[in-house]
Amino acid sequence: MARSMILGINQRRTFRKLLGNSRSRLYRMAYAWTHNPHLADDLVQQTLCKALSSQKQLKDPGAAEAWLFRILSNCLKDYYRAKREVLSAEELVIVDNRTPEHESEEQQLVRKVRRAVRKLPLPQCQVITLVDLEGFTYATVAEVLEIPVGTVMSRLCRGRRSLREFLTDIRPQPESVRTAKLIGIK
Amino acid sequence: MKKDEHYSEEQLNAFVDGELDPEEKSRLYNESERSPDLDHRLCRQRKIKDLVQHAYKDVPPPSRSGGKPLTRTGFLGRMIAAGFLIAIGLSAGILAHQYLDQRQISAGPVTATAALPVQEIDKYLLHIVSGEPEQMLAALEYATHLLESAGSGEVRQVEIVANERGLDLLRSDITPYATEIAALQQNNVVFYACSRTIQRLEEKGVTVQLVPLTNPNYTALDRVVTRMQQGWKYEKI
Repeated sequence: MARSMILGINQRRTFRKLLGNSRSRLYRMAYAWTHNPHLADDLVQQTLCKALSSQKQLKDPGAAEAWLFRILSNCLKDYYRAKREVLSAEELVIVDNRTPEHESEEQQLVRKVRRAVRKLPLPQCQVITLVDLEGFTYATVAEVLEIPVGTVMSRLCRGRRSLREFLTDIRPQPESVRTAKLIGIK
Repeated sequence: MKKDEHYSEEQLNAFVDGELDPEEKSRLYNESERSPDLDHRLCRQRKIKDLVQHAYKDVPPPSRSGGKPLTRTGFLGRMIAAGFLIAIGLSAGILAHQYLDQRQISAGPVTATAALPVQEIDKYLLHIVSGEPEQMLAALEYATHLLESAGSGEVRQVEIVANERGLDLLRSDITPYATEIAALQQNNVVFYACSRTIQRLEEKGVTVQLVPLTNPNYTALDRVVTRMQQGWKYEKI
């Protein structure tokens, strides 16, 4: 009895540690999906809360990360379902209020890429960011988003193709017409 | 030169994302050495990946004192708050006032939190309505997590309000978590027992005994609305 209680306490402590370690990554992902720091923060908060209240559903501790990101994805779905509309441009401007004159080239590039990612349909954005930012395998992404692996691959393909189109102006150009913007890209 | 269109974009993505098995990977790699066109296509895919990684290397932290959040704490929260305000408006003076100020306020934690600087504190109100021990534990653990995960120089203030079946969490003769509650109280977590729920129980002849330092002077609705108006983050468990 005492042993199982101690085990329970240790497991809960480990679980809380996992949540603590995952918080910033969950936030980054939520931010990449919404581009709104407040919304991202709220989503992470809800994710952690839901994770704690349903931690018994997590049978395999090795799958904890995918499980957390799945909760995050479901929280976002719930949010859109409740709101029934995509975030307005006004709300998204919150993080985008800098003017190009005050930005370094690096900041401009970051902003340009984020703007391109924001233009993607959410399902493509989710797949790309889960693969690129978290380094999840296609199988894990499929598990997180509860879709087939084939769908992951096709969404990734369409998403990256769109990004290429949105980012045409930072595609490498011939030396004679290359602009300073390209210097920062390796 | 023949274009390497026989490699689909999916295959190139799989190469870039490390999804190919070693044999396929070597074959594609060797072929890209021989084919500038294939090499260019691979570079193009990798560049998109690199750009995405670069763009989200550092993301802006949420402003602690600035704009309004948008989900439960904000958008849904505002809806909840609006509903609560209507409910409170309709019942004003009937129930809540009977209990407000009748009971002794446990001054310790409330006074302590009032002295903290407002601008630099993350404030969370957790609301427990469930009598399920697992849900109660989740609320306590989330509070613990919030305190433990605060970064250096970051201050977090947490309050827990319990009503309906959730009040069992704070009833000294029922709660399975008196020790956990005491530990959180030592970390300045304030617990509120809904005065209206207590009243209802007492009307049924139930004697409500609360764990020490629980504040029984507010209704849950009042606490939630007040704290949300003050910009606290709200989470119902």
